[in-house]
Order: sequence, then structure tokens, then C-alpha cells
Amino acid sequence: MKKTQTKAFANLVASVIMLVFEIWAYIQTLSFKIVKKAAVQPATFPQIMCIGMIIFTVILLIQSVFKLMRANPDDPMMEAAASINILKNKGVQAGAFVIVLCLAYAALFEVLGYVLVSAIIAAIIMWLIGKRDVKQILLVSILVPLLMWFVFYKLLTVNIPMGVLQPLRTLVDMI
Amino acid sequence: MNWGLLFESYGSVFLNPQVLLMTLLGATGGVLLGAIPGMTATMGVALLIPFSFGMDLIPSIGLLLGIYCGGMYGGSISAILIHAPGTPAAAATLLDGYPMCQQGKAGKALSIAMFSSFCGGIIGALVMTFLSPLIADVAMEFTSAEMLMLAVFGLSVIVAISGQSIAKGLISAFFGMLLCTIGMDPTYSAKRFTYGVKPLYSGLAFIPVLIGLFAVAEIISGVERTINGEEKQEKSDEKIKEVLPDLKTIMSIWPQIISGGLIGTFIGAIPGAGGDIAVFVSYGFNKSFSKYPEKWGTGIPQGVASTESANNGCSGGAMIPLLSLGVPGDAVTAIILGAFIMKGIQPGPTMYRDQLDTVYCVFAALMLANLAMLVVGCAGVRFFAKIVSVEKKILYPIILVISLLGAFSINKNVFDVGVCVIFGIVGWLMNKFEFPLSPILLALILGPMCEQNFVRFMDLNGGNFMAITGHPIAIGFFVVAVGTVLFSIYNQQKINKREAAAKKAAKNID
Repeated sequence: MKKTQTKAFANLVASVIMLVFEIWAYIQTLSFKIVKKAAVQPATFPQIMCIGMIIFTVILLIQSVFKLMRANPDDPMMEAAASINILKNKGVQAGAFVIVLCLAYAALFEVLGYVLVSAIIAAIIMWLIGKRDVKQILLVSILVPLLMWFVFYKLLTVNIPMGVLQPLRTLVDMI
Repeated sequence: MNWGLLFESYGSVFLNPQVLLMTLLGATGGVLLGAIPGMTATMGVALLIPFSFGMDLIPSIGLLLGIYCGGMYGGSISAILIHAPGTPAAAATLLDGYPMCQQGKAGKALSIAMFSSFCGGIIGALVMTFLSPLIADVAMEFTSAEMLMLAVFGLSVIVAISGQSIAKGLISAFFGMLLCTIGMDPTYSAKRFTYGVKPLYSGLAFIPVLIGLFAVAEIISGVERTINGEEKQEKSDEKIKEVLPDLKTIMSIWPQIISGGLIGTFIGAIPGAGGDIAVFVSYGFNKSFSKYPEKWGTGIPQGVASTESANNGCSGGAMIPLLSLGVPGDAVTAIILGAFIMKGIQPGPTMYRDQLDTVYCVFAALMLANLAMLVVGCAGVRFFAKIVSVEKKILYPIILVISLLGAFSINKNVFDVGVCVIFGIVGWLMNKFEFPLSPILLALILGPMCEQNFVRFMDLNGGNFMAITGHPIAIGFFVVAVGTVLFSIYNQQKINKREAAAKKAAKNID
């Protein structure tokens, strides 16, 4: 197996990404408000956290480099890492597509309303993962969000956005 | 202890049909609400308190305690079945509960959770009955120094739940603590990491982050596994002959139940510390003292028992400062305090002198609430276990839309749905790179407590941290925390060596 496909290499990549994030977060804390005569500044606690993260990330980085240099085949870190190759792995492609769907869901939650946007995303995901029974897809994707909306709205009095299906709420209120 | 009055009060509660009905209704509602990710026991109590306005004190307290105890157990149902803890107090239950479900033992995991919850609740209620004035006195001695070190002690458990790489576990924990600092600084109201985004001023809401990290991330991974043909449909033919665990299982989990119940009761008695902290402390404690710590996290009954007895033990513990001093131990008891005040009763030391019968009735109501939870749990365990037999291709989208609704319902804010999705992506990536997620949860729970008490302590002592040496209880917590870390590191090294040896042996056989 190539070294670049091992868990040790994945750890190396992760620690480099984390280090960049941690240094960025530390730099951000430098711009926090300074309070005169305060024993602990608003930036102190986040800075301690950033330093803690940096220390352990460096440890992880050093560990990974040593593991890669030794390349001991019995070491669990030299086993294959999980794939994140979006170009070659169909599963990763599907995962990424679900992420895009979820982001669209959050963006359209208020505009289209919970029931409609949930029905759409549920139907698409069911189709994506191989469900081909159209009747079942329609039944589940419509009934589950409707039932959940009814439980939250009527029994738990949580007001959930209905978007374009607002007349449904009026109808339920009238009944 | 006035034994005559105690028995009389128990009789008046257990033989009152209205109290029985209300407690059973409360427990049913609590279990159902707790099972929905995002709906906490606090929310359930807050939502149903208006229904108790027209009732007498004890039936209304029975209703609220029923929701409280039912919600604590209900949270474990979704943690075990769909990898999404229904309540923060069930966050640690998924560590062993979900692997048990994946092994086709969902029914067994649910029955262990239910039985342990019941036992933990009874331990809490018994301790509350006999030791409440004493425990309240100890807990109320806590200043910022003790609270800070309690948080540090809680965080020391992270090492025990970090899995193979302690460095990765600690990175996750520090990341979680950093997330807690997003928003307005609690002492000086300075904005931190907000970038003008107003919903961030109050910080990240815990529940959407929790749902994102566990439920949404699991769904993304599940879709990926299904497409790659790696997804396994859990067996639907698990026959649940008995709704309660068999004697052999009970004999193997009783030490975890007792210790979890006691840990939960003690932590619940400390104002500001609740079931969410107790479960991790109990899990870490029991794992550290286990003969086979390497099996923890792979789906063992002891893991489920240790957490579920702890979170229900908390319900009794949280009532201790409420009744003895009029100080609520957590958010639910704060609402219950409101119910007392609405009825013209002010809990506190004088209540033990002037209204001892009411105090004893509350003890009895808590005992009854735990029994009601057991009845509801027994009735529902077969039904709950069937959920896993639903085809994954249908289950994943259903869990997703319910989870995202749960994220929204906490603050009725679409921003939280976005937060949930973002943390779903973070969780998915962290799973890919094998970073443990549980330390983030623990850090999110303990982070605010840690920072607030650190700032308060330093301000009170002019920035001199060494002043902590004047607080023996705090030092005690610190010593135990250091001991826990060292012991967990030793344990983890042992586990890693054993696993490596087992793998080598397996390779040689091949």
C-alpha cells in the first residue's frame, strides 16, 4: 500500500489542516476587546484553548511523521485510511451531495417551509440511496414531515415555518 | 426522620388515583419527548407546566417529575437506535448503546437502559430521602474554586473516552472548549468569533451542535456506506422474550448501576451540574475500574448501565438542593421550583420544619415517577426496538428531517438548522480522520462552567491562581482529576498493546 493511503498520512494531513486553523483562531483572539484592570481578559480562555490544541496537534504531527518514517507493517497506523476522494469514490460523492442538499435545506427552510422542504429532501435521499418504490417514497416523504409538523405545532405549540403551505396552518387552526 | 409521617405520605401518593394518572401521563410524555432528538426533559417540563396550573400540588409535581424521569430514559432510545441522543444527558449512552444496536441487540440495550434508569432513579430518590439535608450542606459550600475544579475533574474523563489516540481526543476537547467561547464573553460582554453575525452573540446552541455531530454526520456516513455497498441492515428478528434484562445480565451490570446512581445523585446535587456531566463522569469512572476497559465503546451492557443509572440518579440529586435550600440543581428543577412557588410553597430549610409532609410527598412522587417510567418503558420496549428493522433507505431521510426539526425547535431559529448542518459536516470529516466526537460534547457541556468559574476565581483572588490551595475540596477534585488522567493513560496503553497483539496473532493465523 502507498504511504499516502495510510492512516498515518491521513493524520499528518489532518494535523497540518488543524494547525492552520488553530494559528488562525489564535490570531483572531488578538483582536478581542481588552478590559483594563481585569485579571482575566476575554481573549485569555480562547488563547489557552488554542495553545492546548496547537501542542497536541504538534504531538500528533510528530507521531505521524515517525510512523511514516518507520513504516512498520504491523502498526495499525499503516492500515488504509478512509477515502475522501470525491472524484473516485461514489460513496463520498453521495455524501457530498447529501451535504449540499442539507445546506440547501437550511437556506430554503423559511422560504418553502418545513413540510415542503423536508418532503423534497427526503424523497431525493431515498431515491439517491436506491429506493425505487415511488408510492412508498411519496407516502413517507409527505406523511412524516406532515405528522412531525402537526405534533410540534399542535401538541408542543412550537411554531414551525410553513412557507408556501401557510394556508394549511390556517386550515388546521380552523378545524 | 419521622417514619410514621413518611409512610403516611407515601400512602397518600401511591393510593391517590389522580397522582397515579398524572405521573403515568407525565412519564409517557417524557419518554416520547426525550426520544425526539432536540426535545429535552427541560423543554417537556416547560411545555407541559401550564397543564398543571389547575391541579393540586402533588399531582402537578407528579406530572412534572414523570416528564423529568421519563425524558431522562427517553433520550437513550434515540441514542441507542439512531445514534442521536434525544437529550444531552443521553450523550454518553450512544458510546455502547449504538454499537449494541449495530450488533442486533437493540432490544437488550433498551431494556438495560430502562432497568438501569429505573435503578438509578430509585437510588437517587432513596439518597434524597435519607441524606438530602447533609448533601445539600456539602454542595452549597462550593465556591468558584470548587466549581472550576469540578469542571476540570469532569474534563479529565476525556482521556478515558478518547479511544486509541489520546492526542486526538484532547485536540477534540480543546476544539469543543474553543467552540464554547464563540459569542459574547459572559463577564465583560466582549464579542468573540462573532464577525457581526447576530445569532452568534449568544453562542452556539448545544443541541443543534450535538444533533449535527452525531445524527447528521451519521446519516451522511450512512448514505456513503449504502452507496458503497457497506451498509448492513440491522436484524429485525431479535426476539425480545423479556422486556427486563435477565438475571445473568443484571448480575454483570449491578456494580455500574450502583456506582452510576451514586455518582449521578452526587453530581445532580451540585447546583449547575446535571445529568449531562454525570454520565461522562460515571462512564469514565466505571471504564477506568473495569477489568476489560478495551471492550468499552464496542457495545457492552456495562457501558449503557453506567450512563443510564447516572442520568436518572441525577433527578433525585437535583431535588436535594431544591427542597433543602430552595436552590434548583438544574434547569428542570428550576421550573419545578416555579411550580412550588405558584402553589404558594417556598422550598428551603423551613420547609423541612413547617411542611415535612409535603417534602415526604415529593420524595414519594419521585419514587412513583421512576416506577411509572419503568411501566411505560416495559410497555414500549418491543415497539422501540422495531424501529431498527425499518429499511435504512427509508430510515435515514426520516431521521434527517426529524433531527433538523429538533435543531430548529430549541430556539425556533433557522440559524440553528444551519449550525446543525455545518456540524454534521464537521462530524463527518472528524469521523473520516478518526477524531473522537464525544470529547467535544463533554467540552461543550463543561466549557462555559470552566471559563465562568475560572474568571470569577481569578478576579476574586487578584489573578493569583495559587489561592486555590486554600480550598481543600477543590484540591481534592484536582488530585482525583490527575489520578483519573494518569490511570486512563495507563489503561489506554494497555488496551492498545492488547489490540496490537490480538491483530498480530490474527495475522499469523491467516
